[in-house]
Amino acid sequence: MPDIYGKGLLKGLGVTFREMTKTIFPDGMTKRPSPTKGAATVQYPHEKEAPAPRARGVIALKEDNCTVCMLCARSCPDWCIYIEGHEEKAPPRRPGGKPRTVSALDRFDIDYALCMYCGICVEVCPFDALFWSPEYEYSEPRIADLLHDKTRLGEWMETVPDFEPYEAGSEVKVRKVPR
Amino acid sequence: MTAISDRQKLAYVNAQAADGRVNLEFETEEGMTLNMGPQHPATHGTLRIVAKLDGEQVIHCEPVMGYMHRGYEKLLEVRTYPQVNTLVNRIDWLGSFTNEVPFILASEKLMGVEAPPRAQWIRTILFELGRIANISLFLGDTALHMGGMTAAFYAFRDREFVLNQIEAVTGGRFHPNFDRIGGLKDDFPKGWIADTKAVMARLRDFCDEIEDLVVGNEIFQARTRGIGIIPGDIAQSYGLSGANLRASGVDWDLRRDVPVGLAWDQCDWTVWTHPDGDSFSRYWVRLQEVREATKIVDQLCDGLPSGPIMAKVPRIIKVPEGEAWVATENPLGEMGYYVVSKGDLGPFRVKIRTASFNNISVIPWVTRGVYVPDVISILASLYFILGDIDR
Repeated sequence: MPDIYGKGLLKGLGVTFREMTKTIFPDGMTKRPSPTKGAATVQYPHEKEAPAPRARGVIALKEDNCTVCMLCARSCPDWCIYIEGHEEKAPPRRPGGKPRTVSALDRFDIDYALCMYCGICVEVCPFDALFWSPEYEYSEPRIADLLHDKTRLGEWMETVPDFEPYEAGSEVKVRKVPR
Repeated sequence: MTAISDRQKLAYVNAQAADGRVNLEFETEEGMTLNMGPQHPATHGTLRIVAKLDGEQVIHCEPVMGYMHRGYEKLLEVRTYPQVNTLVNRIDWLGSFTNEVPFILASEKLMGVEAPPRAQWIRTILFELGRIANISLFLGDTALHMGGMTAAFYAFRDREFVLNQIEAVTGGRFHPNFDRIGGLKDDFPKGWIADTKAVMARLRDFCDEIEDLVVGNEIFQARTRGIGIIPGDIAQSYGLSGANLRASGVDWDLRRDVPVGLAWDQCDWTVWTHPDGDSFSRYWVRLQEVREATKIVDQLCDGLPSGPIMAKVPRIIKVPEGEAWVATENPLGEMGYYVVSKGDLGPFRVKIRTASFNNISVIPWVTRGVYVPDVISILASLYFILGDIDR
C-alpha cells in the first residue's frame, strides 16, 4: 500500500490532466486553444486520413495485361473471382506470318462481399494485371452491387499509387505500375 | 444399422447432451445459477461463463466455449499452403502476424528451407509489433473491466500508431498475410524504421502513463491484489503459458528457451516474472512485456542486416511428406502448429495449439470461492481472445 492513501489516484488524475492539455493546447499553453487540432481522431466525412500506399483497399485490373490464365481465380481462398474468356484470331506480328491466337477477356468480376483482402490474386498474377489500390470508399446499400465488373475494376487503376522505394539494405527491385 | 452408424448416432446424441448438461448440472441443485454470456458485455466476445453462486460467493464456475468455432483445422485441409496463411490470421485477431509465423516455420522445417537473415529479422520485428498491439489493448481493456474508462481510450489511441506501422509494411492493419514459406512478401518501405522508432518511444511513454494511471491506482490494486491467485504448480499442471505462467513465478519464455531461428537471441532483453500469481501480477508482467518488446524492436531496427528477403523456393509450393511441430511465444502464450504433410499442395492435417484454450481451462479452479465481481477481474487478467479459444 502507498504511504498516503489516494496518492495513486491523484497521480492518475495528473496523467489525464496532462493528456487534456495536450489535446486542447497542442502547441503549448501560450497559443490559443484549438478543440480539434490536438485530437487523435478526425471528423471523417469532412476530413480524411490518407491510408498507407500499400494498404489493401480495392483491387484494380489492367485489362490489357490479362491473358485469362485463371491463376488468380484458382488461387483465391474463397473463390470470389469469376473469369470468362474466349480465344480470338489476331493479325500476325510480321507480314506473311500465321495469324496469332490471343485470349480475350469477356468477364472479370470480383465479389467484394466475399473477398478476404488477402492479396494472393495480386501476388500470383504473372502478367502484372492486378494491383492494390488504397481506396476504401465503395460501400453499397445493396450487397449485389459489391460485385465489381471489369470496367469498374479498370477504373480503380487510376487510383493505384506507385510502388514505394525500399529501406536501405534491401535487394528487392522496385516494380513499376503500367499506366 | 451397422455398429459404426450406431456409434455415430451416439456421438450426435452426446454432442447435443453436452450442450444441455451444463444447464442441468447447475440448475437442479440448490443455489443460484448465473449465466454470463455468450453475449454479456463483461466477457470478451462469445464466451459463456456459468457460475453457481451461494449468496455472493462462487461455488463453481464453468466456461462454456464453442460459440465461435469456425473449424479451422478442418478448413486448412482443403486449402493450399499460401491460402492457409490468410485463414490463420484470424485466430488471434489482435496480434495477427504472430499466428502466421509458427505455421510458416513448421512448413519451412518440412521443406528444409531457411529464410535469409534479413527476412528473419523483419519477421521478429513484425512479431513484436503484433505483441505490442495485442497487449497494449489488454492494458487498457483490463482497466475498463475494473471501471476505469480512460485507460481504454489511451490504449486504443496508442495502439493505432503500431497498427499504422504494420499497415505501412504489410498493407493490412489486422490481417497482414505477409509471411511466406522461404521469406517474406515484401521489404520495408523507405523511412519506415525511423517512424517505427518514434512510435516505440511513444509506446514507452504509454507504458509509463499506464503505470501511473492504472497500476498505481488504489482502486485497481484493491480489485486485483490477492485476487485469483494461481500457484506455479497449478499453472503448469493446467498448461498455462505466456504471461499467465510467468506471473505465477515460472520463468519460462519460448523466445529465450526454444530458439526457432528468429532473431530474439540477437538482442538484449529480459524475461520478467512475478512471484505472486494474482491478477495484479498478470497485469504487471504484461506491462513489462510491452516495454521489453519495444526494446527488442528498437535493437532489431538498428542492426537490420541487408540482403534478400526470400530464399529460393519453387513457385508452386509442395511440402514433402513428414510431420513437424513448431511453437512460438505469442502474445497470449504458447502457440504451435503440428503440420502433417503427405506431399500435396496443402497440409493433410494441422493441429493448432492456441494459448487461450489452455489459459481459460484454469477458470473453474481459480474462481472457486471468489466473489462475483472478482470473476470479472480474474477473467480480464487471464486475457483470452475468443478466436484463439474456439478457432
